[in-house]
Amino acid sequence: MNLPKIHSITKKILVGALGAFLGFFLLFHASANLLILRHDGGEWYNAFCHFMGTYYIVKVLEIGLFASLLLHAVMAIWLAIENKRARPVGYKKPTRSKTHRGSKVQMWTGILIFACLIMHFTDFYFVKIGWVQGKYMAKSEDVVTLKTIQPEAFNYAEQHCEYSAKGNWLGNFNADDKAVLEAASLEVEPDFYHKAREKFKILHIVIAYLFFFVVVWFHLRHGFPAIFQTFGLYNYKYGKAIEVLGQVFNWVVCLMFTVTVLGVYFGL
Amino acid sequence: MKFTLHIWRQENARAKGHFETYPIDGISPDCSFLEMLDILNEHLINDRIAHPVCFDNDCREGICGMCGLYINGRPHGNDDGITTCQLHMRKFRDGDEIWIEPWRAKPFPVIRDLIVDRSAFDKIIQAGGYISTTTGGVPDANMIPIPKHAADMAMDAASCIGCGACVAACKNASAMLFVGAKISHLALLPQGRVEAADRVRKMVCKMDELGFGNCTNTYACEAECPKLIKRQNISRLNRQWIGALFGRDRRE
Repeated sequence: MNLPKIHSITKKILVGALGAFLGFFLLFHASANLLILRHDGGEWYNAFCHFMGTYYIVKVLEIGLFASLLLHAVMAIWLAIENKRARPVGYKKPTRSKTHRGSKVQMWTGILIFACLIMHFTDFYFVKIGWVQGKYMAKSEDVVTLKTIQPEAFNYAEQHCEYSAKGNWLGNFNADDKAVLEAASLEVEPDFYHKAREKFKILHIVIAYLFFFVVVWFHLRHGFPAIFQTFGLYNYKYGKAIEVLGQVFNWVVCLMFTVTVLGVYFGL
Repeated sequence: MKFTLHIWRQENARAKGHFETYPIDGISPDCSFLEMLDILNEHLINDRIAHPVCFDNDCREGICGMCGLYINGRPHGNDDGITTCQLHMRKFRDGDEIWIEPWRAKPFPVIRDLIVDRSAFDKIIQAGGYISTTTGGVPDANMIPIPKHAADMAMDAASCIGCGACVAACKNASAMLFVGAKISHLALLPQGRVEAADRVRKMVCKMDELGFGNCTNTYACEAECPKLIKRQNISRLNRQWIGALFGRDRRE
């Protein structure tokens, strides 16, 4: 199979640029996740999720994000195929050169990240797009009008859900309730706050997510300094500083994710 | 000292190669690795055991870049900043098994036994590793002011002897350190800066065309370079490439 011609360094730059975009998304995601630790019934976190799910610029960015993820993986696989072809006959003795281990496991950590993403998407993202059933919440801008015009829906909501007057949130619904409330013209959204709090109370799920973060840590450990090298920004003067900055970024992102999950598990 | 040698034997480029085992005894610890192979060859010829083992070598003082053997999983053997000819048998333990392989890379086909064809490097140099400006007569040393650090970096890059250890060590058989060094030692100096963008385009295109792998920042090349050429040269190559993509020369 002949692959289309893009120069080796250009391919590397593309992988690096897409990786940088994904890395900064992780920082954003990890920071937002800390809102789960607020004991506000999900008011802030769900409001953030509502913004993320409805704001049109974010929706465009979401498409860009998935495209980046896919392209990042495709380009990396493309590079790996070419690299395999560059050495058709391997060595008998495995290498004993002193090298960065991160780059050697980058492909494997990448595959593991994809596997973990399936778990993560099944828990959260697929619920949002309706592929998987999960917890929902319904929102009514005017509860009084709802009570007058559609008393049946209001009574249903009152019987089945907790009502939070503060943000007009009509509590938590299961997937079966979703259809009833949507029929009553209520805006129904996934309740990621309660979903996350419920999920991260289960030990094996916590362990699975911690494993996910460790894999991400390994992937970023090599990825961040490699981006600087690929963009030609690694030099004698700032080389060490870039490595330190990369590790700080990596630890901050992974620790924020870890703190969120462990915080919920230990009831913080 | 006594060793068991496992040496890659291959009749010619088209033949199928295999490992052959040769025990060897009475080697002095001060013997160089290539001298040890000379002794082995003497033994193979005199005792009519087999054809002598073919291996590249020339200056035997770490200057020419001709020798290059993959010894026990490391190009140029178990020491840092040396070529194979500078490796001594005292670096091994008595009774060690030593696996000796040729450089493995698609652009470096095996010619015979441990000799590989490294003319791919020459082709990269031919593509753009030169300056074509008329330099005239020998100028006064200080006529063109060059900052000391730039001269030092250019000199470090120019110390590349083109042995191919970077390609041999790289898990992807990438030649980025070699090309980076050749790009750097010219781009860092005023005479070479004029054609920098054109040079990087031509050399990288040739490198890709010859089938070298892509750099994945493992830095095995840096770890195994006998001249200790730094990865910053790869970074400079990337920088120059980005500049060349936008059609301009970059000042270093």
